[in-house]
Amino acid sequence: MSASAIGQTVETERYSGRAMPRVEDRRLLTGSGAYAADLDLDGQLHMSVVRSDVAHGTIRAIDVSAARQREGVVAVYTAADVPDVRIPVRLLPTEAAKGALQPVLARERVRYVGEPVAVVIATDAYTAEDGARDVRVDVDPLPPVVDPNVATTDDAPVLHAAMGTNCLEAFEVSQGGDVDAIFERAHVVVEERFHVNRHGAVPMEPRGLLARHEPDRPLLTVWGVAKVKHHNRRILAELLSLPLEEIRFVELDVGGGFGARGEFYPEDFLVPWAAMQVGRPVKWVEDRRENLVALNQSREQDWTLEVAADAEGRLLAIRASGLFNQGAYVRTHGAALFPRLMINHLPGPYRWEAFAVRTAPVLTNKTPSGTYRGPGQYEPTFVRERALDMVARELRLDPVELRRRNLVTTEDYPYDSGLTDLQTGLPVLYEDGDFPETLDRLLDHTGYADLRADVNARQAAGELVGLGVAVFVEMGTPGIFEQARVVAEADGTFTVHVGIASIGQGIETVLSQIAADELQVPIEQVRMSYRDTDVIPEGQGAFSSRGTVYGGHAVVGAVHDLKEQALAAAADAGGAFEVPADMAYVRGAVCWEDESGPRSVTLAELGAEGSYRYQPEGGSHTAMGANLGVVSLDPDTGRVQLLRYAVAYELGRAINPLTVRGQIRGGVAQGVAGALFEEFAYSPEGQPLSTSFMDYMMPTAAELPDVDVIIVELGERTSDSPLAGAKGAGEGGIVGTAPTVANAVADALGAGADRALTRLPITPERVHRLCRARERAA
Amino acid sequence: MGDRLSVTLDINGDPYEREVEPRLLLSDFIRHEAGLTGTHVGCEHGVCGACTVQLDGRPVRSCLMFAAQAEGHRIRTVEALADGVDGALHPLQQAFHESHGLQCGFCTPGFLLSIEPQLADVPDWDDEQIRAALAGNLCRCTGYQDIVTSVRLAAARMQGDEA
Amino acid sequence: MKPARFEYHVVRKVDEALALLAEHGDEAKVLAGGQSLVPLLNFGLAAPAHLVDLNRIEDLAYVRRQEGVLHVGAMTRQATLEASGVVARHWPLLIAALKLVAHPQIRNRGTVGGSLAHADPAAELPVAGAALDARFHVRSTRGARTLTWSELFVTHLTTALEPDELLVDIEVPPLPPGTGWAFAEFSRRHGDFGLGGAAALVTADGDVCREVRIALLGAGATPVRATEAERSLAGGRVDERSAAKAGRLAVEGIRPPGDLHGSAEYRRDLIEAMVRRALLDAAARVRR
Repeated sequence: MSASAIGQTVETERYSGRAMPRVEDRRLLTGSGAYAADLDLDGQLHMSVVRSDVAHGTIRAIDVSAARQREGVVAVYTAADVPDVRIPVRLLPTEAAKGALQPVLARERVRYVGEPVAVVIATDAYTAEDGARDVRVDVDPLPPVVDPNVATTDDAPVLHAAMGTNCLEAFEVSQGGDVDAIFERAHVVVEERFHVNRHGAVPMEPRGLLARHEPDRPLLTVWGVAKVKHHNRRILAELLSLPLEEIRFVELDVGGGFGARGEFYPEDFLVPWAAMQVGRPVKWVEDRRENLVALNQSREQDWTLEVAADAEGRLLAIRASGLFNQGAYVRTHGAALFPRLMINHLPGPYRWEAFAVRTAPVLTNKTPSGTYRGPGQYEPTFVRERALDMVARELRLDPVELRRRNLVTTEDYPYDSGLTDLQTGLPVLYEDGDFPETLDRLLDHTGYADLRADVNARQAAGELVGLGVAVFVEMGTPGIFEQARVVAEADGTFTVHVGIASIGQGIETVLSQIAADELQVPIEQVRMSYRDTDVIPEGQGAFSSRGTVYGGHAVVGAVHDLKEQALAAAADAGGAFEVPADMAYVRGAVCWEDESGPRSVTLAELGAEGSYRYQPEGGSHTAMGANLGVVSLDPDTGRVQLLRYAVAYELGRAINPLTVRGQIRGGVAQGVAGALFEEFAYSPEGQPLSTSFMDYMMPTAAELPDVDVIIVELGERTSDSPLAGAKGAGEGGIVGTAPTVANAVADALGAGADRALTRLPITPERVHRLCRARERAA
Repeated sequence: MGDRLSVTLDINGDPYEREVEPRLLLSDFIRHEAGLTGTHVGCEHGVCGACTVQLDGRPVRSCLMFAAQAEGHRIRTVEALADGVDGALHPLQQAFHESHGLQCGFCTPGFLLSIEPQLADVPDWDDEQIRAALAGNLCRCTGYQDIVTSVRLAAARMQGDEA
Repeated sequence: MKPARFEYHVVRKVDEALALLAEHGDEAKVLAGGQSLVPLLNFGLAAPAHLVDLNRIEDLAYVRRQEGVLHVGAMTRQATLEASGVVARHWPLLIAALKLVAHPQIRNRGTVGGSLAHADPAAELPVAGAALDARFHVRSTRGARTLTWSELFVTHLTTALEPDELLVDIEVPPLPPGTGWAFAEFSRRHGDFGLGGAAALVTADGDVCREVRIALLGAGATPVRATEAERSLAGGRVDERSAAKAGRLAVEGIRPPGDLHGSAEYRRDLIEAMVRRALLDAAARVRR
């Protein structure tokens, strides 16, 4: 890239598109990062949360006397002490949700094991926990309900009396022709029930918050926030009845979010509120046992699905009903998000004549659920792609061929999917990217024909190996806007303030690349600033893989504005009303020529600043991916070993292929873990069983495969913007993993196993039994 | 019950003398008494490995020791790997940086201290052996592949240096 | 998850430890490697009033072979035993078992005696001890006694040790020449406790078995020796058929637990398969 100034062509480094190491790394590698638990303030007290160990019950009494008397305990609070507030819905609020919002401390009833019942404030973390153990919570148990299929029946215990039901609003979409008629005439109908396991984000860093109230200023500062700090700041202001300007949120380093960390939880109210009560900073660090029962869980869905196809393998229609286990309370994503996401991601990148889908979230006495990487995408994708393999088997068609025959192609563009964009309310059109091309890239890269033949040969020789494929389309809901401000500092560096959040995904680097390119300066001269709401009062945060696109566009716009401001200032300084034709921005300076020759003034000298609010008309991006996996099964133990895994992901453009591959690999790992290992298991009484890392099984390096990532860049260069055509990559790795693994296992085991491979996780025990059954049948 | 003890711990060659309760975990001493927060706490039951430090050169879980037990031993934490705060990175850190072996960074110090003593053996290992050696540390962000690549790179470089 | 308060005692001699155990009885727990105990303390599943730290007792950490017999001090770190050339040469089954114990970071602190005294039926060292017919030397202020492995392991997480007793020495008899060994185990993740496993020792002259020992992991509340299976192989050869049969015999009558990680039937199948594998591997090692 070059910038010309008065006949000179200046070559500058280009960062966008480069697989470059991250600017964030050094402090993290040397142990100089600062995560929430690392921050200590003079005079601080520690908070420990007393949590219900009963899944459902009426609170008769809470005896805090022993706790209050313990030396070192400064205060103990229960619902009687705190305002009677509920945590509001951030996304798509509806009336239906209002009856099931969570109080910041349990009131009258406890509804899940782990629900906060009281808080103890003490001089140190150990004493606070001692104090928490002193608190006696007297609960009259009520019958719990944990299965959403049971929770929707008439005699199920109702969690929120005012609602009269556990079923939150159902959502239905019916598109295309007469679905029933199509099923009547269809050549093939596959009908199955599916269950996706409850699992979730489980980031390596548990949560932590530190709050300090300075009434003289007045200012309430909260450290340790993440993901959507601007939203949460507004929520806290509302709940505390404080003016927004009196609250400052500071994001520190974050040890993974994956959608779960950073939403507003009871502790996000309790810590700052307690700090205001005790007049000293209050620090809370979640421990792992709490994290496993208190952080949003996710994914638990039950589906009934019917797929109709004709004799040539043309997909005709879907009829489906899906329940989402919301747990005991509606969380910040509200009641409306999941049902809509589930429907939007069920049809996939295929042409259908019709579909009729009904989805509903259901309340049960489990930990409340929230969004987790690829929410409402991972689950319907599993369901649909499994079902398609069953259709292919019925038709004796190669599963890849079945998909090829039905993928929406560029010739169909713009293709009205029949779905509705969650953000704009407009129809979702498939109009960019290329589904068949993405699939072909995967197949070419993996040498599918040979691979398939090789697996077939090994199967014929009696080996339990299988190959599975899955494709998906992912619709983001990237939030309405993002803001950035770029400041030329006196030392020649540029500070880029942007409202995004960092959860470890490399966003600092990616945005620095974009900024450095636009500014035409070495990346070392760019400093990202995103942590402090005092400095960036508006922003949207990190979710739905939006950071690069939304943050990037905001940064590009801000730099553009900066240049304009700088040129105007330089012109003004020279007494001109308009910017002279020969005056140009070059690498951090404004250059022009006058009688004495080439002149320039740096932006630092000009004190220039630019800002921009990126608020596009459109809504979601759609991105498409294709996955392939090869598995080997050990019949004695049922172990599923992944021999091969590849993902082709069409993400428009990759600003940093290194971080993109890292995101996708990380997503695959979590997705495979969900398919084979992880589960938040509960007893029928609502007692969580996965309460340590011995029981909640996150795989180690020894269980996971290498992942080939094929980045497919088809982004239309509609403009010179480095982001033109870019989409996000944060979730693409995870969405297609479950069916890829399940289809591969089904391929290894044969038709007899199909019905059993509709429930996740696919445990070694189940595979072992299926192997045995297959042996006996032979 | 729970009277305080005076302990002096040698961390990265520096002495830290503090009055502590016997039940104070070594991880908490390192982080809050010595102020070295590079060692992280992920589970407090010995599974995740984020708290791994080296005790007399051997990787151990600092969440499973009491600070009082560590007196008389040499403790090494992640802060000792690089050459001072702004100095050269340890080849292992450098390799992680180049090969994108970290994302959120929370698990990273534990990985570094766990694998560092074994780097001399790594060039002889296949991927399965490397992954087995890494199995005592959990990572949620990377899916491990880039960590394996980083470890291979570091080991190859260090072997080259010694050759 | 912070532990509750305890009174902390550091001792440098076995007798000091014994005196404290005699004084405090079941109000005291000994702290060895801490890799099993400290998680329990952190989870609040144990809250002893007194903790006796054994880590400064130098006399209890040793690995010796005397007249062919192995003696391991109870406070010997698992990693130390794993690295012992003497053990690798004469009792390689122990090395194989140790390599399955968690991860190196755990073995650097965990002790041989600690693992045995913890008596988790899914742990590898107790099973290796059963296969090797180990004997356990125990002391208290009241005296000393020696327990066989079947006397030591009473039930799930419970040994025959009285509250005032301390395991001090583990004695392993020599193995006859011509003994092959193997430890086979299945766990869902590398380093986890096994869901099912088996240790096998096959002593053979040529192809004919003189003695076979099979100890089962995860078969019940303690390690189990599969004596029927052992007998079925005496005087015969270990091959696919006899190993498979031994596997079936080994799991007859065992009652493995069932939980969220596996049902009893599945564990039974696992153990059967692990017995078969361990026997074949051990027999192959004899020939070498």
